[in-house]
Amino acid sequence: MSRPLVALALAALVVTGLAPLAVMLLRIEGADLAGIFDARTASLLGRTLLLGIGTAAMALLVGLPFGFLVARTDVPGAGVLRALGVAPLFFPPLILAMTWCVLLPAFRGAPAAIFVLGLSTFPLVAVFSARAFERVDAAQEEAALLCGGLRAVLRMELPLALPAALCGTCLAFAFAVNDFGVPDYVSSVGVKFNVYADEIKFNWSQIRRPGKPVATALPLIVLTLGALVPALALRRRGALATLGHGFRQPGTLKLGAWRWPAFAFAAAVVLLAAGVPVLRLLWEAANMPAHVRDADASPGAKLALGWSTLREAFGLAFEKARADLRRSLLYAAAAAAACAPLGLVLGHAIERARSRAAGRALELACLLPLAAPAILFGIGIITLWNHDATARFYDSGWMAVVLLAGRFAVFPILICAGAAASFDRALEDAATLSGARPARRLGAIVAPALRGSLVAGFVLVFVFAMRDLDSAILVPAMNKTAIFRVFNGVHFGRDSYVAALSLVLLFAVVTPGLLWTLFARKRLEVLP
Amino acid sequence: MKSLQAALPVALALLASCGAEPDLRIYCALDMVHSEPLIQRFAEETGLDVEVDFDVEATKTVGLVNRIREEQGRPRCDVFWNNEIAHTVALANEGLLRSYDSPTAADIPETFRDPDRRWTGFAARARVFIVNTELADPAEIRGMDDLFDPKWAGKVGMARPLTGTTLTHMAALFTTVGEARAEEYLRAMKSSNENGQLDLTSGNATLMRKVRDGFLAWGWTDTDDYYVAREAGAPVAVVYPDQDGVGTLLIPNTICITRDAPHPEAAERFVDWVLRPEIEAELARSRTMQIPVRPDVPRPDHVPGAEGDELKYMEVDFLRVGAELVERQAAFQEMFLD
Repeated sequence: MSRPLVALALAALVVTGLAPLAVMLLRIEGADLAGIFDARTASLLGRTLLLGIGTAAMALLVGLPFGFLVARTDVPGAGVLRALGVAPLFFPPLILAMTWCVLLPAFRGAPAAIFVLGLSTFPLVAVFSARAFERVDAAQEEAALLCGGLRAVLRMELPLALPAALCGTCLAFAFAVNDFGVPDYVSSVGVKFNVYADEIKFNWSQIRRPGKPVATALPLIVLTLGALVPALALRRRGALATLGHGFRQPGTLKLGAWRWPAFAFAAAVVLLAAGVPVLRLLWEAANMPAHVRDADASPGAKLALGWSTLREAFGLAFEKARADLRRSLLYAAAAAAACAPLGLVLGHAIERARSRAAGRALELACLLPLAAPAILFGIGIITLWNHDATARFYDSGWMAVVLLAGRFAVFPILICAGAAASFDRALEDAATLSGARPARRLGAIVAPALRGSLVAGFVLVFVFAMRDLDSAILVPAMNKTAIFRVFNGVHFGRDSYVAALSLVLLFAVVTPGLLWTLFARKRLEVLP
Repeated sequence: MKSLQAALPVALALLASCGAEPDLRIYCALDMVHSEPLIQRFAEETGLDVEVDFDVEATKTVGLVNRIREEQGRPRCDVFWNNEIAHTVALANEGLLRSYDSPTAADIPETFRDPDRRWTGFAARARVFIVNTELADPAEIRGMDDLFDPKWAGKVGMARPLTGTTLTHMAALFTTVGEARAEEYLRAMKSSNENGQLDLTSGNATLMRKVRDGFLAWGWTDTDDYYVAREAGAPVAVVYPDQDGVGTLLIPNTICITRDAPHPEAAERFVDWVLRPEIEAELARSRTMQIPVRPDVPRPDHVPGAEGDELKYMEVDFLRVGAELVERQAAFQEMFLD
């Protein structure tokens, strides 16, 4: 470990990610804490737990078999399904909610919220499970196959993959309990399904007690950390348990008669979670709901009209949002690039820390910016940076980069920590013996080996930065981004324009990951 | 070295985004599609470099209001163009706005002007019922209490009264019908939702879509949302409620200059420009079809006037509504967020 480098990276993490939270915590007074819990808020918290557990269960039930099928079996189109299966993670969950509320108007309340958030977060389980199933030693698997066929293989491998799958499940829980848009939207019809994140959102208007919303956020932060900390422990166990010396990559498992039913399951999952929302956006971009209502037009004329509307909508979306899209790409790419060295240095430091406790403490500190509600983070940024001395910086695009990097640096840091854990330390020791200094070892030995993880971290930060709205709404530079324009447009009934803009944004979000997957030799490594 | 070379263009582009300080900075909660062209025209006519920050539907004005509050140590915003009134009054009461008596607002009725001239109202929206004419006869719907008529059970809705114009509407109700009556109305809303008789949507635009698409027969919304559905050819009609009762609520846009606006002269120029009758007329003709608050501003036939015998409007003490807004919202939160 290079101490100056680690100190520098730590300072960057403190300034960008932890200081905005610290200045907010300073607002809390004793009276703010006293009133956090009563019967009403406890009930909200209970419902939030229900939402989190339901979402996590659905993500696990869908993600675990999906991950197994696309990573290990001869299911047709496994590679394509695996790539497409990640797509729902790129969609703002509200877009999924809007889609399913149109398609299933009677499906409402808690079950609908769980369904939508489950579809949105199952890729977290699928990605982790897929990687864990790939790490089962071929020798063990062949022995199980000989003893009892596919059933025995599953019995042997499931416990090995379960920690990784549960890690993804904990992440799904953490995302679900912080969402307020989906529960609110899906219960627009029927009995209202309120959650605790709503309470935090509305408390920001209580101006006479500036500490109250911050205090209100504490239970949710604890709940989120309560999911993220076990996720880290499970990730360590799940990522490393099956690897040992003499590891041999397992082959593809033959499903036999189950091949096509398995394909139907995996394809249905991708269709429900990614295909249907995209098709619905295309349908709305073409303004087909209105064209279909036109009783006088023939089907051909309706299609022609739809095609023409689609072209107009995309033309308008590009014309109106070109500059915003360029800014979004710039901020997201810059934040992702800034996070890469942070990820390398701090991720490596977490795994190579002299004391285990120090490593874990650093890991926990990295989680805090993501565990805190987005609006708290955004207001913390204003409080911290909107001063005369930093005015030019606050008003500039750099502020957006700092916000996004501070909030999402946790992804590359933890990904690199996982990769560093499985990286043979003997190589670093050999370099030390040959006189290489810590910074040189990090740059010349560790960084090349972690390239896949660094790119995966870059892609994740880029994706989350492109779709971030809640914290960005408070920072000036972020007001001129593509996601902002999409949600500004939702109000006006220009559904075709908004749908086209959403599709353009989705395309921009998936592009870097897609390009890397298509053209790079080294794969993205979210897990080592 | 290679990575440094790759980072250089990004850094340069970001440096380029640190543009010079603008001549005027506007925070605008009116829908971007309607306000952006007007602001651009102002910039072209005056040659000023104008920067605008908009709001999104999800935050219902509160995003910009919170920013003005949080930035008060170093204000960035010169002019706040709000699409409603209650939060503007609240900002005025917090001492965050300065007085400016715009000469172009001289003919705006006093009802829509702050006595201390810290804000001016113009181009209003009305709180109305949007009715799907395939599911309900607009003639059968007359006032706010029809929402709880058992014959409409499961077919009516409104936005949750925690943000936006629905919050302002419900807070205004307390000043017009009295505490007990308003409280009773809100309790009826709450119990009707629990009984499955009344839907509480995530906003007025969502409510409009539910009615437009036939999931609901009718519900409370704003005139601009109704006009959006009407323009799209949906089978909808508007009902201006309580014409034989308390009247229909009008919620004007408001414009104000912040207390320590960095560019006060440019801010005054913009306020004067926006408050001209021509802009009210233009907003009346636009897709948002706002109701001019001046009686003599030309408007399309389907846009009612804000004064005269045409419609009965609710008499609201907006100063009181703004002063009570925070407490009202907290009380509504206790009631509706459980």
